[in-house]
Amino acid sequence: MLFNSYVFLFAFLPAVLAGWWGLSRWKPLRLAFLSGASWFFYAWWDWRYLPVLIGATSVDFLAGRWIAASASESCRRLLLATSLATNVGILAYFKYAGFFFGSLNGIGRALALGSGLPSLHVLLPIGISFYTFNSMSYTIDIFRRRVEPTRNVLEYTTFVGLFPHLIAGPIVRFTDLADQLRRLTPRLTSETASRGVFFLSCGLVKKLLIADQLNPYVARLYTNHGHLGLATGWAAAVGYSLQLYFDFSGYSDMAVGLAWLLGFQFPQNFNSPFKAVNISDFWRRWHMSLSSWFRDYLFIPLGGSQRGARRTVLNLVVTMFLAGLWHGAAWTFVVWGLVHGLFLGSHAVLRKAGWTPTSATLNRALTFLIVCAAFVIFRSPSLGVAGDVLSSMLGLHGLDAAAQLHALLPLRFTLLAAALLVLVNVAPNTWQIRLRPRAWHGMAVGIATAIAVMTISQPHPFIYFQF
Amino acid sequence: MTTQAVTAADSRAASKAAASQRRFLGGFLGSFLAVLAAVLAFNVVVDPLALAGTGVVPTAVEPDRSIKLDLIQHLKRGPQILILGDSRGRQAEPSFLHRLTGRTAFNAAVTGGSAPEAHVFVRFTADRFPQQRRRYIWFTDEGLASGIVQPQLAQDPRARRYLPDVPGFGLGDVKTYLSTDATKDSWRVFEKCILAACHTKINYHPDGSLTKQSLRYLPEHAKSLRRSVAARLAGVRANRETVRQARQELAIPGRFAYLDRMLAFMNQRGEVPVIVLNPLYPSVLAAEEKNGFPAHRATMEKLAQLDKRFRFVVVNCEDMRKWHGTKRDWSNASHVNRANMRRELRYIVARSDGVLR
Repeated sequence: MLFNSYVFLFAFLPAVLAGWWGLSRWKPLRLAFLSGASWFFYAWWDWRYLPVLIGATSVDFLAGRWIAASASESCRRLLLATSLATNVGILAYFKYAGFFFGSLNGIGRALALGSGLPSLHVLLPIGISFYTFNSMSYTIDIFRRRVEPTRNVLEYTTFVGLFPHLIAGPIVRFTDLADQLRRLTPRLTSETASRGVFFLSCGLVKKLLIADQLNPYVARLYTNHGHLGLATGWAAAVGYSLQLYFDFSGYSDMAVGLAWLLGFQFPQNFNSPFKAVNISDFWRRWHMSLSSWFRDYLFIPLGGSQRGARRTVLNLVVTMFLAGLWHGAAWTFVVWGLVHGLFLGSHAVLRKAGWTPTSATLNRALTFLIVCAAFVIFRSPSLGVAGDVLSSMLGLHGLDAAAQLHALLPLRFTLLAAALLVLVNVAPNTWQIRLRPRAWHGMAVGIATAIAVMTISQPHPFIYFQF
Repeated sequence: MTTQAVTAADSRAASKAAASQRRFLGGFLGSFLAVLAAVLAFNVVVDPLALAGTGVVPTAVEPDRSIKLDLIQHLKRGPQILILGDSRGRQAEPSFLHRLTGRTAFNAAVTGGSAPEAHVFVRFTADRFPQQRRRYIWFTDEGLASGIVQPQLAQDPRARRYLPDVPGFGLGDVKTYLSTDATKDSWRVFEKCILAACHTKINYHPDGSLTKQSLRYLPEHAKSLRRSVAARLAGVRANRETVRQARQELAIPGRFAYLDRMLAFMNQRGEVPVIVLNPLYPSVLAAEEKNGFPAHRATMEKLAQLDKRFRFVVVNCEDMRKWHGTKRDWSNASHVNRANMRRELRYIVARSDGVLR
């Protein structure tokens, strides 16, 4: 079930809101209802993968309790390892086994050793990368004694399965929700509802009226990757960067809005990333819940930036390599992660040497260009396609013919992309907009949402659903 | 100020804030629902896709199905050759076919026409002129047939009796009529019918052929053939499919239901139709062939299967070199103009195993 579908907006959401607020006097019943609704939401896609979600939830709930209860350090480590192995094992089997075997077979064929390993075609359970990371942060934080485990299984199932963040984040940590789950909001206030409606509407508008409108143009550019010139190559890179930003930040806004409507507060996931003045700043603004997850649970434990320049660069490359792999089991994601690792490492070295430009405008422009170029690798179905687009961006395929420009770069797309470029550089993001609770503001938001809903006839899934 | 006074002031401010939040929510819900309700009502009344059957104004889609049923209804003598198919076949002139074969003809090809349309026209003509055996030329594309009944066909009571199990206005149609696409269509009809003149510029002769005046108003009449070809080529490159995918598309249940019925009906009456695979612009055909042309392969496999059950003749006109077509005589990247259609008809008559003679 997609957030941008009629069945979600006009059937599932009203039913869940009615049930959740209708049961506000009975906490256990409320949590059970919300967990059940979230599982139903998950099972709508494919009920056969529901046991995987419930299994991972159960293991981490028990592991969390036992880690907290155990006095022996070795026992605590063993329990943590069990929890991590379960989550990483689920990810490894469903997400990476096919890629791993396929790559080994490819190497075998290249070395004329044949392809002896079986080729696995396992369907990737939706949202697996997100809920396993939610769960891992829970047991790690308990192990580090940063959070007390919950004794209420319903609180935990609600934390992991809460449908607004279940499929594509933000990656919410237990520390974010623990107090909110313990003391549930008793009733829906008009302020909470207004915020929820506002975020939900912003998300719908971003996804349906912007990202989905860019999609056909961008898709056409990438399918014609072998025929792109300088202008169309850059259009492919910039167009996709904008599409991805509005798609994913739209999803995050919707998730935040839905959480508000249920009385929960989620953390911010995007903070105007295209206003970043360097690559490090970009990662503090883009998919913030994932960046901070990797920072806290991987980069810092590896030594962070405290062990000299060389080690910092290595830590950054390793962290970004795994962040790339987290996005998908394909070489394009691996390379994309490594490229960002190198960008971050180079930036750390250059900054230390005082060789970074001083002009904020130049810094912003440079950051935007390298981020767009890297997103080409992220978007491309193969490294060959990425090579074609990147070489056209370097002008190696020459300029575009007039007919080519007309076919691949229609005026509507060009104007839309130009307007969006101005928007992402000038306008405040959803979190910065101060909502004025006036009737005509509500009407404006309502009309924009209705127009967005009218474009749903064939809903497009969110890009991050594939991860 | 006393504590009590401060508390009272806070409470007043809070209730004022809550009231304005409620107004925001009221404004949101009211406008959201009002816009959707207004859009739905507008689209149902205008009914651009003929889903609701209100019939207040003509539909956005060309009403050529009903027009051609009217023309057949008013024919004094039954045509000996019935031309069927989509907009590619509309250019075929019955008078020219008469010159080639000596037989009278009627053009029943319609925009977006497929097997359901062909089935309806065959049955309607047979019921109108029951004693007459007929020849058929059916212009079709790769993929051969669709099993989807277009609403504008289903809405015509004369066609409906040949179309069993066509559902009425349902929840799926509400979804369609809440969409921007349907609203654009409604606006187009509204603009045309309410603000200007409510009649089509495309007209037909009594034999179903297009009047000369209509040719330049045809939707396929491209301003620039070169641009049209470039766009089509980009589309071909964007939609590369495998043979497996092409076969899967042809295996959709119900896709060939009307084609099967139509062929069975014709063969039962001792009639053998000529199935013509429409031409493709040379560079588009070359691009398709470069990809292995999976759709063509799957179509030929399907025709071979059908050939075991039915009698028909296939004339493949995809490559215009076969029928001496010229590159300039195209309306756009997928439609030939009248000059090329005449060349194509000569080839079809010559290659139809005497069926049309």
